[in-house]
Amino acid sequence: MLEYLTVGLLLQLVINGILFGAMYGLAAIGLSLIFGTMRIVFLAQGAVIVLMAYLCYWLFTLFHIDPYVSTPLLGIIALLLGAGLYQVLFRRAVRMEDKNISLLIAVGLMFLLENFMAVAWTPDPRSISTSYTSSSISIGTLDISFTRLLGFAMAMLATGAVTLFLKRTFVGKAVRAASEDIEAARLVGVNPHWVNTMAFAIGIGLSGIAGIAVSTTYPFDPYFGFVFSLKAMIALALGGLGSVSGALLGGIILGLLESLAAFFISGGWADAIGYAVFLLVLLFRPEGLFVRSIKKA
Amino acid sequence: MENHLLEIRDLAVAYGGVQALWGVSAHVDEGSIVSLVGANGAGKTTLLKTIAGLNRPKAGGVFFAGKKLSGMSPEGVVNEGISLVPEGRRLFARLTVKENLELGAYASRARPTYKESLERAYTLFPILKTRRTQVAGSLSGGEQQMLAIARSMMSNPSILMLDEPSLGLSPLVVKVMFELIENLNRTGVTILLVEQNIYQALKISQHAYVMKTGKIALEGSGEQLLADPDVQNAYLGSLE
Repeated sequence: MLEYLTVGLLLQLVINGILFGAMYGLAAIGLSLIFGTMRIVFLAQGAVIVLMAYLCYWLFTLFHIDPYVSTPLLGIIALLLGAGLYQVLFRRAVRMEDKNISLLIAVGLMFLLENFMAVAWTPDPRSISTSYTSSSISIGTLDISFTRLLGFAMAMLATGAVTLFLKRTFVGKAVRAASEDIEAARLVGVNPHWVNTMAFAIGIGLSGIAGIAVSTTYPFDPYFGFVFSLKAMIALALGGLGSVSGALLGGIILGLLESLAAFFISGGWADAIGYAVFLLVLLFRPEGLFVRSIKKA
Repeated sequence: MENHLLEIRDLAVAYGGVQALWGVSAHVDEGSIVSLVGANGAGKTTLLKTIAGLNRPKAGGVFFAGKKLSGMSPEGVVNEGISLVPEGRRLFARLTVKENLELGAYASRARPTYKESLERAYTLFPILKTRRTQVAGSLSGGEQQMLAIARSMMSNPSILMLDEPSLGLSPLVVKVMFELIENLNRTGVTILLVEQNIYQALKISQHAYVMKTGKIALEGSGEQLLADPDVQNAYLGSLE
């Protein structure tokens, strides 16, 4: 296989890996926010992303709304869905402080969504094809898919927006404080349900963006989400908890690894290598690759 | 009812099936420094946490200026004007010094006076101004304790509760800390103090309670308790 390898091909693999990795990164940021504030491993994140992809698909096939036009609408739907999921499903469980209950609710929600989608849209893979789906931008010998590039751009924009929110706004700072120490945050007056609602809304809001990016670039089916959640968790382990840019970077590294492994070893190995890296990171650098450890006060 | 700023009446608290407080009654007068002393596990921290709304009492109540606090959430209590500097400081280690202070003013009562409170914090602790862009986790132990106190003061509390503020600090810094507590008190803040450093705590207190296995064993003025032979034997032995 190596005889086919050229610099151009290698670059192509790297770019594809980065572009797809950004999708993992988006999902990982959502997981990170939700885990950070509530210590919930939100395994249904992938299923919600697929649900958003289906909604985007629906708007496109039934109403002929271009996926990128429906982005703001889906973003808002996802934000509201996130807030609703917290209030209806997780609020009580978080108050009970039993993490197992929250995890079980997340798993239950995932199966519910998967089966709902299988009934609503059949288990056949779907994809959105627009006039520009197969167009690409050529730079020298490189071909960069237009939709993947846009998906990547949306991921970067969304990450930037979340970072600004967390760093610059009062509520964002409260979310970060609550992720570090919810009890200390309550002692200064932070209402835990409010920050949890925010974290859930934004985490799921990002899955709206990810859903659009996925639906415009890859075929998807109702069961695609679980693997996506797992990949997001790997990205999170790579990036380290509590860092938005770390989660994005973790996703990109995972995408790169998979892309390169699929070429140099074989497609089947890509996933195995992803999980192996997951275990290695957890074993040897559980705080993540990019988090400088700060001694706890 | 007498006019105490804070009144704790027959308070009983249990967690996880273990009772930690048994009918504790105590009070704090406006403008005073009151200490709670006693061995580890006597229930001092539990009492502060219950006042702060982190524990729910199973009997009895906490009243602040005549208003019932017990049953309120911690967010509610801090908004009433009682702020706890928790044991171990509990700073937001990955946030900057300034962000920690900003969050100290999260309660709605504190927002209108945020600018003045920040000014006051920087005047009280000039070092925090110098370090305002550093993350809190990078401060020294003494600086962290100062930040923890400054953060609590950002909510403009009438009563500041401090849980072991001298823990883990060098003797020199401990001295500074006690001076600081007295200074805060002079500006009109009522202080409720839990301390292992019993001698120092009693010295600055107008009134103090000795707690033992979840009950008040003894109470009196700081001077009285310092002179009490039982207190001397049990807690101040090393000083003789």
